[in-house]
Amino acid sequence: MAKRFGKFNGVPLLFTLVWIVLFALALYFFDQSVIAFMGMLVSLILLYYTRGSKKLKILLGVLVLLVIIPLVAGGNRYYMEVATQVGIYVAMALGLNIVVGFAGLLDMGYVAFFAAGAYAYAIFATAQANEFIPGGLFPLSGEWFWPFLIVGLVVAAIFGILLGLPVLRVKGDYLAMVTLGFGEIIRIIFNNLDKPINITNGPQGLTPIASPELFGVRLDTPFYFYFIVLVVIAFIILANIRFEHSRLGRAWIAVREDELAAQSMGISLLHTKLAAFATGASFAGIVGVIFAAKQSFIDPTSFTMMESIGILIMVILGGSGSIPGVILGASVVTILQVQLLKEFSNFLHTLQQSGLLNLPNQLDPSKFQRLIFGLLLILVALYRPNGLIPAKRKKNDLEAIKQSKHASESLGILSKLSRNKPS
Amino acid sequence: MLLSILPQVLVDGLTLGFMYAVVALGYTMVYGILEFINFAHGEIFMVGAFVGTEVLLISDSLGVLQGMNPFVALFLTLIIAMIFTGALGVLIERVAYRPLRSAPRLVPLISAIGVSFLLQDLVRFTEALARNEFYLNSPTLFSGAIPLGGNVSISIKGIIVIVLAIILMFALNMFVNKTKWGIAMRAVAQDQSTASLMSINVDKVIMLTFLIGSSLGGATGVLFAQNYGTIDPYIGFILGMKAFTAAVLGGIGNIRGAMIGGVLLGLLEALAGAYMGPLTDGAFGAEYKDVFAFAILILVLLFKPEGLFGEAVKEKV
Amino acid sequence: MALLEANGLTKKFGGLVANENVTIKIEKGTIAAVIGPNGAGKTTFFNMITGFYEPDEGEILLNGKSIKGLRPDQIAERGITRTFQNIRLFKEMTALENVMVGVHSRLKAGLLGILFNLKRVQEEEEKARVEAYKLLEYVGIEQIANEAAGSLPYGLQRRLEIARALATNPEIILLDEPAAGMNPRETVEMTEFIKRLKSELNLTIILIEHDMKLVMGLSEYIHVLDYGRKIAEGTPDEIRTNKQVIEAYLGKSASEVS
Repeated sequence: MAKRFGKFNGVPLLFTLVWIVLFALALYFFDQSVIAFMGMLVSLILLYYTRGSKKLKILLGVLVLLVIIPLVAGGNRYYMEVATQVGIYVAMALGLNIVVGFAGLLDMGYVAFFAAGAYAYAIFATAQANEFIPGGLFPLSGEWFWPFLIVGLVVAAIFGILLGLPVLRVKGDYLAMVTLGFGEIIRIIFNNLDKPINITNGPQGLTPIASPELFGVRLDTPFYFYFIVLVVIAFIILANIRFEHSRLGRAWIAVREDELAAQSMGISLLHTKLAAFATGASFAGIVGVIFAAKQSFIDPTSFTMMESIGILIMVILGGSGSIPGVILGASVVTILQVQLLKEFSNFLHTLQQSGLLNLPNQLDPSKFQRLIFGLLLILVALYRPNGLIPAKRKKNDLEAIKQSKHASESLGILSKLSRNKPS
Repeated sequence: MLLSILPQVLVDGLTLGFMYAVVALGYTMVYGILEFINFAHGEIFMVGAFVGTEVLLISDSLGVLQGMNPFVALFLTLIIAMIFTGALGVLIERVAYRPLRSAPRLVPLISAIGVSFLLQDLVRFTEALARNEFYLNSPTLFSGAIPLGGNVSISIKGIIVIVLAIILMFALNMFVNKTKWGIAMRAVAQDQSTASLMSINVDKVIMLTFLIGSSLGGATGVLFAQNYGTIDPYIGFILGMKAFTAAVLGGIGNIRGAMIGGVLLGLLEALAGAYMGPLTDGAFGAEYKDVFAFAILILVLLFKPEGLFGEAVKEKV
Repeated sequence: MALLEANGLTKKFGGLVANENVTIKIEKGTIAAVIGPNGAGKTTFFNMITGFYEPDEGEILLNGKSIKGLRPDQIAERGITRTFQNIRLFKEMTALENVMVGVHSRLKAGLLGILFNLKRVQEEEEKARVEAYKLLEYVGIEQIANEAAGSLPYGLQRRLEIARALATNPEIILLDEPAAGMNPRETVEMTEFIKRLKSELNLTIILIEHDMKLVMGLSEYIHVLDYGRKIAEGTPDEIRTNKQVIEAYLGKSASEVS
C-alpha cells in the first residue's frame, strides 16, 4: 500500500484513537445515528492502516469489538443485529476464500454447505426429527447448540468431500457451472424432502429452532449472538492465517497458480483440492448452525444461488486470497445490503410522504440488490481484478533463517553435498 | 392413460428442446472462439422475450395488431427483437468482455455474471416503471390445437416454435459453412493467431459471433413468450443453464452438437417431468425436473467432458 | 541394471503418433540428452516419464520397479523431478516459498496440526525454510528470496525452477531446454552448473536441448528422436558422425553432399 500512496505510511495512532473515542461518544449519545455506527465500524479499517505495532493494533481492535461496541450500541437491537449479520458473512466469506482465494476453485454453490450446517441443527433443534426418529426425543434443548457447532462443521465438511470428489475432476469455468448446478440441486432437494420421508419439512421450513443456552441462560437476543459470532470469526481468522502460511496453504496456492507444476512437486491435486473444499465447507457449516439458531426459522429460500454469488462477490471485491481484503469485502457488501440500501429507501419514503418526490414502489432502492451486485462485479473485473486489498505473500525474515538452529544441519538433497565435497 | 399423453409430451419436449438448442448455439459459438462461458447469454434471451412482448403489446394497444396476419406480426416481432438483442450482445462484448480478453480466465466469467444480474434488474426496473409490474403476459398470435383422435392433440404454437427454430438453425448452418464470414469464424475458432496472420480481423469476427449468437438468443425469447405466455426477468437463468447443459451435452464449440444436445435435453426433461411422478408413485415428481437437467450437466462434464460430438482436448504441458 | 528404463513407449494423440516404440535406458549418475528436430516427441517422452501422459504401450521402470500409470505427484515422490520448457513457477509466491513447495511431500503437517500450530509443525516449517534458503544459496540466488517469482528476470527464473526441483530431493532430474533463451555467457554458466549438479549431488540428469554446443559438451550419452521414433543413440562423438542423425537434422540431401 505504501508504494501506491507515495509518502503514505499509515495513519497516525493518535488520529485513530481520537476517531474511536469520538465515534464511540457519538454513538452513545445519538444512538439513532447511522453515521455514528458506520464511523465506529470504519475505525476498524482505520486501525488496519494505522502505524504502530501489530500487537497494539490487535489489542485495540479487540477492545473496540469486544468492549466499546457492545457498551455503546449493545442496547440497540438493530445495530447488534447488523453487526451480527456482518459477522456471519465475514465468517462465510473467509471460508469461501480458502476455496476460491487460496486454491483458486471457483465455487458458485457454496451456500449448500451453509444450508447443510443450518439444517443439521434445525432438524434436531425442532420437533422435526421426530418424523423419522421414533421416541419423541426432540426438540433438543438449547444446550445442544454448542456440540452442534462441531456437528455442523463435520456435516458440512462431509458434504464438501462428497461434492468435491466428483466435482473436482473438472476445472476453471466448468467447475463454476458444476458447483452452481450442485448448489441448486441441494436446494431443490431440501425443498422437496418432505416426502417420501419428511426430513426437511419442504418449503414450509423449520421452526421454532431452539436458541442457544448456557448455564440455563437463554441466549436469544442479537446482543448474545454478536459475541458468539465474534468468537467464531476469531477462530476462523486464526485458522485462515495459519493455513495460509503452512504446507497446506502453499499447496493450495501452488495448485491455483499452476496445477501441472504443483503436481511435479509431489502435490496431490485431489488431496489438496479436497482439503480446500472440506475446510471451506466446514466454516460455512458452523456459521449455518449459528444462523439457524439466530433466525429460529429456516426454509430453502435462505439458501438460493443469490446467496452463493453474494458471498463470492464479497471475496472478489475485497481481494481474493487476501484475509483483510475478504473481511472488508464482506463488511462492505453486507452493510450495503442490510443497512445503507434500507436507510436510503427510508429516506426516499420520507421525501415521498412530504410530497417532494413521486417514486413508484418498484423502484425502492432496497430492491437494487442485483443491480448493485452486477455493477460491482463488472467494475471489479474491469478495474480492480485483485480486489480492494490485494493478496500479498508474507516476506520471510531471512536473518531469522540464517540464525536458525537448523542452519548448520544438512537437509534434503544438500546432505549429499558434504559427502561429495570433502572439506 | 400414460401413453395417451405421449404425443403432447413429445411435442412439449421438442418445443422446449428446440428452444434450448437455439440458445445453446449462442453459448457454443462464443465458447468455440473465446473459450469463455458467456454467463449473460440467458439474460439476452430474456431481454429478447421482453422486447418481443413489448412490441406486441404496444402494437396491440395502437390497434395495429388487429387484422394483421399473425405470421407477418411474428416475423416483424422477431426481426425487431433480434436487432435489439444482437446490438445488446455486441455492446456487452465491447464494454464488459473485450478489455478482459487477456485477463485470467475467471475474470471475464465474473464480469459476465455481473452483466447477467445487471440485465435482470434493468429489465425489472424498466417494466416496473412502464407497466407497474414486471410479470408480462404476451398476446398470443396463434392458438388452437390439432386433434389427433381421442383426447389427444398437439398445440399449433408448439409446432410453429419448432419450425422457426429449425429455420434459424438451418440459416446459421448455411452462414457458417457457406459464407466468407462464416469461414472466417471457423478459422478464428480453430486458431486465433494464425487466423489473424491470414488478415482476418479477429475483433470483427468476435463481434459478429456475439451479434449472431445474441440475436438467435433474442429470437428464442420471442418464441418462448409465444409458447408459454407469461414472462419475468428471471426466466433467463434457468433456461440459460439448461441451454448451456445442452451445449455441453452436444460437445461445446460444436454447432451441430448444440442442436442435437438441445433437442435431446428437452425431450428427456419433458419425459421425466411427465412420467417420473407416476412411475415412482409420487415420491419423486416433476418438481425434480430441474435437478434432472443439472444432473445431466454434471454427469456429462464428469464422464464425457467433450460431449457427445466434441473432440477430446488434452492440456498442453 | 539401469536406473531408469523406458521400454517400447508409444503415445498417440488421435491419429498423430508422438512417440513410437521408444526404448531408452539411463544409467545412474550420468548426464544423458534427448535430442531431435522440433516435433520429434522429446517433450512427450518427458511427459510420459513424469506421469503427465500415460503411455499407450510400453513400460517404465525406475530401479526395476514399474512407475507406469502413477500420477505425477507419486512419481515426484519416487524421486523423478523436472523443469519445464516454458518455465512454470508459482508466480505470486516468493522465490523462497516456491522452493518450499518443493519440500512439500517430505513434510507431514496435517490440517489439525496446522490449526493448533503444534510444536512439531513449527519445527518442520522452520527446517523447510532453512532448506529452501540453502537451496537458493546453492543455485546462487538467495538475494531474491523474498521477491515474487513472477517478477524475476528470465535467467533467475530458470535457476529458481531448478532449485525448486532440487527441493523434492530427487534422484533423477529432467531438464526441458534449460538454456533456452539464454545468451552464450549464460549458457556456459548453465553448463557448468549442470555439471555441478551431477558431481556434487550425485544426480542423474536427462536433458532436452537444442543448443548443440551445450549438448555435446555436457552429455555422456545422447538419444536421438525423429518423428517420434528413436533413430540413434551413442556418445557425443558417435552421434556427431551418425548419418541418420545428420539426415534428420539437415535433410537427406545434406548427408549425401557431405
